[in-house]
Amino acid sequence: MREHFLPSSQGLGISLSNAITTRAELDDMQLVAASKKGDQDAFAQLVQRYQRRVFNLVYRMLHHYEEATEITQETFLAAWQGLPSFRGDARFPTWLYRIAYNCSLKSLEQRKRDKALQEALQAEQVLEQAYGDKSADAQLEMHDRQAFIQELIARLPAKYRVVLILRHLQDMTYEEMAEILTMPIGTIKTHLFRARNLLKERLQTLDRDRFLGTRGL
Amino acid sequence: MQCKEASRLMQLYIDGRLKFDQIRALEAHITACSACHAELNSLEEMVSNLHDFKFVAEPEDLTAQIMRRVAISPPRSGTPKFSLLRPSLPEILAAVFLATIATLAFILQLPSVRSVLPVANGHDSLSLAFLHTLHLLTSIDIGTLTLVLWIVGTFLGIFITLLFAGNEVRSRWFRAMMARLPER
Repeated sequence: MREHFLPSSQGLGISLSNAITTRAELDDMQLVAASKKGDQDAFAQLVQRYQRRVFNLVYRMLHHYEEATEITQETFLAAWQGLPSFRGDARFPTWLYRIAYNCSLKSLEQRKRDKALQEALQAEQVLEQAYGDKSADAQLEMHDRQAFIQELIARLPAKYRVVLILRHLQDMTYEEMAEILTMPIGTIKTHLFRARNLLKERLQTLDRDRFLGTRGL
Repeated sequence: MQCKEASRLMQLYIDGRLKFDQIRALEAHITACSACHAELNSLEEMVSNLHDFKFVAEPEDLTAQIMRRVAISPPRSGTPKFSLLRPSLPEILAAVFLATIATLAFILQLPSVRSVLPVANGHDSLSLAFLHTLHLLTSIDIGTLTLVLWIVGTFLGIFITLLFAGNEVRSRWFRAMMARLPER
């Protein structure tokens, strides 16, 4: 895998709600207006401003670096082509995230249908089977806790995965998530609570296995 | 406070969505309940693990790659042409439903057709129920009838508007409605 990790989002002090100030929103509006008139330089600025967050959302959804690169490109291309229909009802990043999420879902669907990738998935399943058969200690030798959490997230259903990513990795509020995913806030809460509970249960199982393993039980 | 309620509040607590009195109530429960205390600890630990996730660096030439594709792809036209000729499935179903009602109403108003039908001929149970309802409506006072028709008309209007408004407007309307409900 070719990914390089950057300092955490918290470390950078970037959160969507905080980082996007009124000034930035104003800039966005001006850049969007210029882009709508065909100004590619203005659109390039929007790309630079949001590509990291879009890429990370897609990457966490797909768990595949090259595919995430391709889908990020498709997201911005779709945004460029769809700009004339962007009326500004939602904020630009919200609209962009919605496109990225939909492109990711489409890609996941495509992945299921794609025969070649299906074979790769089957191979992956075999590996996972072998992985599952190993003891918890062996698992921890292969991956640290964070990597294990990443794998657990990747195995969650897409609707649970996306709320976890948006809430904890992209630091979004319920309202922002509801707007991006076009879901009522109640549904967002339900998905988020279930996702966290699922993750917590699986981590607890891991910890229990480790404990029993260290005691030789 | 029951543990089930505490468990729900913990999730909101993690997201900073609790009011002061709710936090006090949750803290009181957690102090007394070791199971919930452990649950909150493990939830906080897991969330802390998630927050430690680092951003993955995108490819260095990603902007250039995107802009290369943008350069050869002009923006699409704002309003799709012939969108009226490409209705969505709910719009088609609504049109079929309304057309069916209109056709039935037209056919059933012909006495010669009604007399040969097993229903709506004036003697079957459906006709009798219809006549009975009509009689009931005409016998109540005009003020009540107007109120009932106004309420039914309003809901019907909202329903039809939302049906044709599309997903975007429907979800925005639903969110606005939900936002007006008291926070659980």
